[in-house]
Amino acid sequence: MEIHTELIYHYPWLPSLNSVLSSISSQDPLEFIKKTFETYPFLEIRERLLRLFRAAFENLEQIIEYQADKLNVHCYLILKILLYILDNRAITNRIANLYSKIAYNELINEGDAYIYDIFMDLNLDIKYYNIPIQYGINITKDQEEILQTNFRIYVFDYLKLTASLRDEYRRLVNNSLSDGYVFIQKRNLIRLLQEYVRQKLIIKQEEDKATLDNFKNEILKLEKFKEIYDIISSEWSLKEEEFEYTFEMDFKSGKELSGSYPPCVKSTLKKAQEGQNLTHTERLYIVWFLNSLNYPEDKIVNIFSTLPDFNREKTTYQVRYAKKKGYIPYSCQSLKSYNLCMAKKYKDELCLEGYFSRKYDAQREIKHPLSYVRIKQYRTSHKQKNSDKQIN
Amino acid sequence: MTDYTYLKRLFQAYYKKIKPNIPVVNSFEQREFGFIPWDKHIMIRHLSFKTSEYLLKDLIQTGHRHVYSSGSLYLQPDNSDMNKKQYIGCDLIIDIDVDHFYTPCKDNHDRWYCKECGESGNGMPSKCPKCKKTKFNTLNWICDDCLKTAKQEIIKLVYEFLIPDFGIRESDIKVAFSGHRGYHLKVENEKIRKLTSEARREIVDYVTGENISFEILGLREVGTNIYGLTKRNMDWSQKIVTKIEDILNSYSDIQLERLLLKFGLKRHIITSFLNSKDEFIDTISKNRNLWIIPNFGIATWKSFLYGIVHEIGAEIDEPVTIDIHRLIRYPGSLHGATGFKVQELGLNELNSFNPLNENNEKLDPIVFKSKNLQKIEILEPFVPSTKIAGDVFGPFKKGDKIEVPHHIAVFLLCKGVAKTL
Repeated sequence: MEIHTELIYHYPWLPSLNSVLSSISSQDPLEFIKKTFETYPFLEIRERLLRLFRAAFENLEQIIEYQADKLNVHCYLILKILLYILDNRAITNRIANLYSKIAYNELINEGDAYIYDIFMDLNLDIKYYNIPIQYGINITKDQEEILQTNFRIYVFDYLKLTASLRDEYRRLVNNSLSDGYVFIQKRNLIRLLQEYVRQKLIIKQEEDKATLDNFKNEILKLEKFKEIYDIISSEWSLKEEEFEYTFEMDFKSGKELSGSYPPCVKSTLKKAQEGQNLTHTERLYIVWFLNSLNYPEDKIVNIFSTLPDFNREKTTYQVRYAKKKGYIPYSCQSLKSYNLCMAKKYKDELCLEGYFSRKYDAQREIKHPLSYVRIKQYRTSHKQKNSDKQIN
Repeated sequence: MTDYTYLKRLFQAYYKKIKPNIPVVNSFEQREFGFIPWDKHIMIRHLSFKTSEYLLKDLIQTGHRHVYSSGSLYLQPDNSDMNKKQYIGCDLIIDIDVDHFYTPCKDNHDRWYCKECGESGNGMPSKCPKCKKTKFNTLNWICDDCLKTAKQEIIKLVYEFLIPDFGIRESDIKVAFSGHRGYHLKVENEKIRKLTSEARREIVDYVTGENISFEILGLREVGTNIYGLTKRNMDWSQKIVTKIEDILNSYSDIQLERLLLKFGLKRHIITSFLNSKDEFIDTISKNRNLWIIPNFGIATWKSFLYGIVHEIGAEIDEPVTIDIHRLIRYPGSLHGATGFKVQELGLNELNSFNPLNENNEKLDPIVFKSKNLQKIEILEPFVPSTKIAGDVFGPFKKGDKIEVPHHIAVFLLCKGVAKTL
């Protein structure tokens, strides 16, 4: 199926970019950038790219003046090259979050036919119905709300797109499914596209640093490109300092416990810090864990502020609700079943070998992350006492 | 000759006999293989074979106790470093094993011994009634009833979930009797192969009803009223309300009382439910959702609904489906704990299949069937009776010297409860 070129200008992450605008996408990156700077006004390119990075650094959710023209495609490709050579997970995640939100805001205003075309282009199987199909009803008292939609999506594509989104209402078990297709409202369908775009921009970091350095050295010989790269790097270094300082403050305020966190908590917090999406289970775990340690509500909410679908109001409500309910964090056994246990990955001695219990005169396993904190705290204070004694 | 050597030779002879007719799983050369030998309880993994002929050749040489292949495909299936195996994708694997859920027949044939205090008994307790500890040695048995329950779970899974809801084609579904206490199901579909563990967890939740949210499905309290679920919603609500209707229309009050007790409801609440049963049937059958039963608050409704969900959901071994690097028994191989064959089945063959008394010779998993008698001695304090092909053998006690048909002897030897004489 041939897709409208206009759509590719608007959404340059579409796979058809490679066929419809193959002259652009198949070029050698250096040649491509040179030609772009020859063809389009440099200031315009610089402005568009910096606008994006600056908005991402400020954690904004939208940019003004998203221009869906041919230059937009060039800027998208340059953006990907920049992310590759910046080789910084936090920047990549922030850009991915912002870019995907921009895509959502654009897509939500598109007609159904375009949405259908986009899904087809992504090789995602959806069904479109001219006349909306009814799949349920909400009845309260005498009021009836018919649930209907024009769209259904193939269940395994649905699962693929929702793999990293774990809101309860998105869980398959809470959705209408028949004949292999999930009934889905247009708004929710577009939210899935947003996640697709986000994932698309999260480029795997280059493991071979020599390859990366060679490429970087070559491409930074292009002066105009280097100018943009340098501005981004220096603006990020200022932001990064502020960002990391805030992060440290968040976790070191109140009781000095952050050094006593088990690896599962550290790993999840690190993901949040980098702006990676957290699964529903990871979010619950962090909220329940920090609530159990009496962390201030606003500081817990701030941890989630870097996530792609952050909504302060909702998050605050959920943190408060969990506190009210007194939920306790998952046990180690549950964490293992959710694949959240990081004991082996981090080779954490206390997790792997347990501790010696005087009460039982035996080696005991750590069965709960809060026990981990308690024992770590005990060890720290004991160590402190011993060193004090030695000093005295 | 030890009994293990004897069984190994029997297995070798079997593989020699069937040569070259062992089922070939698709993408055979991209599967990882694993074996458990007779002399050590270790898994020999990270093996691969170019063709099924090489596999059979190996099995004829080794007569391994258990034979497995991966649900996953790899570019380098024999690389021992999981990160270097180059994972391609994984079929959807579902295991239904009566080990993981209660069946009434277990009270007759499954034996437990508390590791802590030595207490013993029949059934499937969650903790020792004497010392309350939870670690047991068990002797699990099989009978027509529990294998029938396992089969019904597979049928439920296929015809109430996989085909109508997931739209999976019958031709993509492969079922096999595991050779012991259950069935395996495999779905081969390109899009499924790419699913992550997390996505597979969603499939598990869907077919079991775990992590269901009744609030999202429509249950809510408005003032003093409770609004329940309706069949008009094409989600789990439909399954739940239909199941409630089926139960209410077919169970006697005594059966219903037992069921509600199982759901954890208190007696006075059950009485209230039984008194209002007719009005409730009327409400749900007319697709109304104002649910009124005296003494039923939102928490009671949830307990009731969780109970219903549990009745609907399939009893699957969840980690097997979620784990993309799991090995599963190879079809056509022998199960070392029974001597029975892992028997592939067409969906049309499933309904009439009876592993312990199968009339169709081609599907019969009991491959060592013979009228020749063999002398063995019982080693376990208690061995439950075994009914195979309509004949009952046992129960036996330690020290019994018995003469049983060859296939029964192989079964008891494989189970480790007897020795040859």
